[in-house]
Amino acid sequence: MLNKQAHDRLGENVYQTTLANGLKVILVPKVGFHKTFAVMTTDYGSTDNEFVPRGQQKPVRFPDGIAHFLEHKLFEKKDHDAFDLFGQYGASANAFTSFTQTSYLFATTSHLRENLDILLDFVQDPYFTAQTVNKEKGIIGQEIQMYDDDPGWQSYFGMIGQLYPREPLHIDIAGTVDSIDKITADDLYAAYNTFYHPSNMSLVVVGQLEPEETLSWITANQAGKTFAPAEPIQRIPSAQTPATEIVPTTTRHLTVNRPKVSIGLRGYDQVPAGKAGLAYSDAISLAMDLLFNDSSDNYLRLYDANVIDDSFGYDFQVQRGAHFGQLAGDTDQPESFVSELTAILNDGPAQLLAAREQFDLVKREAIGRTIGAINSVEAIANQYDGSLFGGTTLFDELAVLEAMTFADVQAAWAQFSDASRQTVYTILP
Amino acid sequence: MHFRIRDGVTLDLLPTKQFKTIGIKVDFVAPLTATAITARALLAQVLETSTAAYPTQTALARKLSQMYGASFGISVVKLGTKHVIRLTCSVVDEQYLNQFADQTPLFEQGMALLKAVLFEPLLPNGQFDPTTFTQQRQNLLTAIKSLDDDKQYLANRRLQELLFTGQPAQAMSALGDTTTLGELSSADILGTYHDMLANDAIHVAVVGDVTAERVQEALTTWPLTDRTITDDSPYYRWNKRDEVQSGDDLAPVVQAKLNLAYQLPIYRDDVDFMAAVVFNAAFGGTPLSLLFTNVREKASLAYYASSSYNPFTGTMGVQSGIQAQNQDRVIAIIGEQLAAVQRGELSESLLAEVKASLLNARLAGLDSPQRKLVGLLNSELTHLTEPLKTWQEKLAAVTVADVQRVAQQVTLQATYCLHGGDQDAE
Repeated sequence: MLNKQAHDRLGENVYQTTLANGLKVILVPKVGFHKTFAVMTTDYGSTDNEFVPRGQQKPVRFPDGIAHFLEHKLFEKKDHDAFDLFGQYGASANAFTSFTQTSYLFATTSHLRENLDILLDFVQDPYFTAQTVNKEKGIIGQEIQMYDDDPGWQSYFGMIGQLYPREPLHIDIAGTVDSIDKITADDLYAAYNTFYHPSNMSLVVVGQLEPEETLSWITANQAGKTFAPAEPIQRIPSAQTPATEIVPTTTRHLTVNRPKVSIGLRGYDQVPAGKAGLAYSDAISLAMDLLFNDSSDNYLRLYDANVIDDSFGYDFQVQRGAHFGQLAGDTDQPESFVSELTAILNDGPAQLLAAREQFDLVKREAIGRTIGAINSVEAIANQYDGSLFGGTTLFDELAVLEAMTFADVQAAWAQFSDASRQTVYTILP
Repeated sequence: MHFRIRDGVTLDLLPTKQFKTIGIKVDFVAPLTATAITARALLAQVLETSTAAYPTQTALARKLSQMYGASFGISVVKLGTKHVIRLTCSVVDEQYLNQFADQTPLFEQGMALLKAVLFEPLLPNGQFDPTTFTQQRQNLLTAIKSLDDDKQYLANRRLQELLFTGQPAQAMSALGDTTTLGELSSADILGTYHDMLANDAIHVAVVGDVTAERVQEALTTWPLTDRTITDDSPYYRWNKRDEVQSGDDLAPVVQAKLNLAYQLPIYRDDVDFMAAVVFNAAFGGTPLSLLFTNVREKASLAYYASSSYNPFTGTMGVQSGIQAQNQDRVIAIIGEQLAAVQRGELSESLLAEVKASLLNARLAGLDSPQRKLVGLLNSELTHLTEPLKTWQEKLAAVTVADVQRVAQQVTLQATYCLHGGDQDAE
């Protein structure tokens, strides 16, 4: 039975259900659209590298990069590649791995049922052999090296590595050339069997679709397969870096034309559970808008002093088990960049109060941008949070923003900031 | 809907309720000349920063925030023999807001903002504000330098310089060159500004739930004059060389960036244009392509290997990321794929898949307000407007023989490799 959530003002509806096998299905029809975008996600990413494999008793530590490696290998079957099956219908397929999730997706303008079957079938029918696993090591090795040459990526991971030196978050999502060399077909099966059970997965379909019909196709596909009963997943909690052990600052030399600085802010507070977590996350983002966005007084002052320029940016993200903020940019004055921005961060409550008049502006902006995102089937699908905030969507986020008050922003910032630790990672020419 | 506003000024309106936003695009189109590229890039940067009414970027940013996060930007684009200064503005359609108390609807606010940027810039004492000018010139300078930190971008820039040696307008990046930039004065770009307003062809386009009356009424307040447009060809035609130009540079990169440039002398208005599009998609333009399959999947020699076709300059580029010591092997495999298509060796199944993929991409583009707006300029410059149905029929009609005929016109012209030397193997 589909549960319909209507958003009449926006002219949009969200349909949700959970199948008998545990697979969560979210359908969002978009009137007038030609494209349909589908993404199937498991709650398993690069940081889940130690767990009790399904059917076993003891925890096992797996090589770094295994979730991403599995993502690559899932497309390849005994006698075909799933890419080619999508290709028959002209659909474009892709996949990506983050710290906590792995997603498989396609976009199509025709043959939705056939493409959904291809997606469900290739994700639910693993085929790993020693030979195919070894062949992939060269390709992924090149991918890792491509990121080695990207100073922006180096700056980002340098910052994260200092905030989370003990947690697997500091390890590159793709692993290293050495770690992926250790991955075996048996490792991939162990990870697959543990995390790819339908009860640990979601399927979001957005765009040109008819909800009841689409659900019937998905249900029919799943009815033709047998799954083991759902079992609780036993992840081994990683070591936690004590706040006192965070590396405060590192400077590294790379061949870049201009210095790059990344300031990280790790939260040690507890993110509220469920939808309140989304409100917390949005409140922190609004606080950072008030402190740092291009309509703030701070921005103009630092811009005019050539401390920051158009490359300056910031963000806040919540992952399963971790949340952190980042301020980053290219600058010819790396020392002033650090001292000025950390001074604002350390004076957060007073700075927020001083920017109070801008609250209506940053709130309007966040609301407008969220409404604009409803134009994009990809944005709607990718904004579904899975288990992070209990299954919220872009539409829930809009409602959260509309209800947000300045006091909410102050409170969330105080909670985050009081228990946070900073780090600075600088890349110099 | 297509309207003539004045001589040399057109308006296209795409009325639709598909989107939650209203998108506006204004293109200023001038002939592409090496001397003007840099000045126009700097002018775009200065105009984007402020206006008389919003004299700092903060004042302008606050205005955009107040307009519910309207997006606004000015970019520069090279398109064949044309240079385009493109203003874009996207506003939320206020019928989707939970509360809206402004006097003026957001579309009219967006048009007023564009008018202010274009016709009421910050010009104290009749010159661009000196502080803004100096700062934005410096910003553009650092932006150009920072781009070179992106090694894939850098390798492609060097390849273009090799390919178009002696043809500076084509060789140059759309942002211009740092030497010219350093010498530009505020008076120079004031001249560029007046030239743009008086002489450029102007194409306005709007997509969203808005009527022609509203758009035209907003435009009547813009002080636009008639202009004479020399309607010359947007296609850059050039003679191929007998010898392949080769270049390489050492840089501290772990992965070598190998780029190749070909002449593919088929332009948008050629009968074989659709066949050329299909050829590129089959050769390296899609993940199903020969390059992706043979360089990446079968030989495991690269993480990326793809091609792109420019129907305004008659060129095709190949980009790949490889181990430096494999360069000769990769070039050989790429050459073999081209030779195979030139012999007509292209499977019917790959042809069908590539066509399905192109159709999919075309239809998916109809769901993007930005892509709808950008597509209109191509029609304007090429005078080619084609109903979707005709486009589909042409695509369906492309045969292996057509693709083979296109492939036989493809000639390698330049290769460039940015690499870390022999020690970069790991």
